[in-house]
Amino acid sequence: MKIAVCVKQVPDSETRINLKAPSPKLDESGFTRVLNPYDAFAVEEAVRIREKNAGTEITAITIGPDRVKETIKKDCLAVGCDKAVIVNDPALADADEAGIAAVLAAVLKRESYDLILTGKQAIDDDCAQVGVRIAEALGLPHVSVVVKLEFAGGGLTAHREIEGGIEVVQAKLPAVITCQKGLNEPRLPSLPNIMKAGAKPMQMLKCADLGMQPPARTYDVKLYSPPPARAACKVIKSEDDPAAAARELARLLHEEAKVI
Amino acid sequence: MPKIAVFIEQRDGEVKKVAWQMLGEARRIVDAAGGAGSEAVGVLLGAPGGNGDIAKHAGAHGAQKLFAARHELFKTYNAEAWATALVKFCHAQKPDLLLMGATAIGKDIGPKVAQRLGCACISDSIRITCEGGIVIRRPIFAGKCYVDVVPKTTPAIVGIRPNAFALTESPGAAAPEETFDPGVAGIDTKATVVEVQAAAGRKVELTEAEVIVSGGRGLKGPENYHLIEELAASLGAAAGASRAIVDAGWVDHSHQVGQTGKTVSPNVYIACGISGAIQHLAGMSSAKCIVAINKDPNAPIFKVADYGVVGDLFQILPAFKAEVEKLRG
Repeated sequence: MKIAVCVKQVPDSETRINLKAPSPKLDESGFTRVLNPYDAFAVEEAVRIREKNAGTEITAITIGPDRVKETIKKDCLAVGCDKAVIVNDPALADADEAGIAAVLAAVLKRESYDLILTGKQAIDDDCAQVGVRIAEALGLPHVSVVVKLEFAGGGLTAHREIEGGIEVVQAKLPAVITCQKGLNEPRLPSLPNIMKAGAKPMQMLKCADLGMQPPARTYDVKLYSPPPARAACKVIKSEDDPAAAARELARLLHEEAKVI
Repeated sequence: MPKIAVFIEQRDGEVKKVAWQMLGEARRIVDAAGGAGSEAVGVLLGAPGGNGDIAKHAGAHGAQKLFAARHELFKTYNAEAWATALVKFCHAQKPDLLLMGATAIGKDIGPKVAQRLGCACISDSIRITCEGGIVIRRPIFAGKCYVDVVPKTTPAIVGIRPNAFALTESPGAAAPEETFDPGVAGIDTKATVVEVQAAAGRKVELTEAEVIVSGGRGLKGPENYHLIEELAASLGAAAGASRAIVDAGWVDHSHQVGQTGKTVSPNVYIACGISGAIQHLAGMSSAKCIVAINKDPNAPIFKVADYGVVGDLFQILPAFKAEVEKLRG
């Protein structure tokens, strides 16, 4: 089986976001960059599938500048991916979801993958589009927000999270799956595996190698702004009389905030 | 301009509340902008024979017309069939914007329709303005920052966060209904839903809830989560959880609110025994009213809360529940 895992390097979830003037600009100097947590579920799932299907080959694919090599080595190759393809083209620094999907689709078209895994969304832009766009671009079935994945007879059964429950979806391979938390518990790479990862192949490509021009944007970014400031907290102390505090809270929420 | 179409998402004949919220906002924008060709319309994909009064509701919520396609393939969700129909609709009606709720279906079908049309998809948006041109605001970095974007394509698919827009209803005529052929005969349905498993107990969905009661490590153990569930039940609310207690296995991941959980936009979010880590705040900071109950007066949650009770939640929660029950009679 040939599996592709599409991953993204993102600022970690502890990062405070500071704006830079003139808008739209973000201050990236404080960013600690990691593998997108949802993509970690995708990498782990690929490795688990390989543990059950000897001879499976896993390729990690990403778009980004030089700094993404570290994440690819430590969090993809060291965890169990066999090789990586990195599209490192400055012209893509400003690509939007449509552009990213177009480039990834071009990379994916170069091989016949049986399964393409990716996280349900990246925790920086929170768009949750690229996996579905790739499937459409390649004419493949997809299932998104998957918490359980099984294979049988040339096809898959995926459990997808919906409001109030689970949708059980069947599709034939090849297919695209976007991974949700709960699908698995990602393993941490061992030190020996991190060292061995350096020897695994990492292919660097540019748009020209894919026979394509950098894609045009489908929307422009005009402004970044901080979330609205909130009013100061009205504190109700309760050590002596929790019942009175509860009464006061209920009164404020009912009469003042009018939310209950 | 602008012509705004709103996807009237239905499941088992029941229309998602976000669809009505979007229609109301679309109509407000269209009435304010008032240019030639500006119109707010609904587009519905439904099972054959059903949904008789959707046109009436659509009219009450602002639709000037309802385009409806009915087919067996719209009884359950199917990405290929639903995308084919919506693409056909866009080609025929040429809206400037197609709004879809940021629901499980909306987040799945929006990017697929956008990819097929070669157009922009703006996910999980919270504001649309049309003064001179269309500008859409959406949260990024789990709400730590907002970005304003201008679509460059027609149409642009815009995902709208539930509860971003208010629900308004005015008495009015049913929207005139026009049927269209969805063009799904003989298509390859690719990924098919074979079963829908409802979660045990008819619980309120977090992403759609107006009131959420959430619990964290301050609950001390899984055996105490019932305090959250009971208060939630008394408020008709959804029950949420911090990542700490989900990772500890006290509750299922579907309860998690936060950067790697659900992003919620309720009218009121009551955080009990939750310290307020940045990742948790990222998931709930757009709540209109935030209440924190925590014994640590220095907990970061008090920095975003509108109302805070410093004290022992084991005493406050039952007392508060009693007050709520009194209020609700």
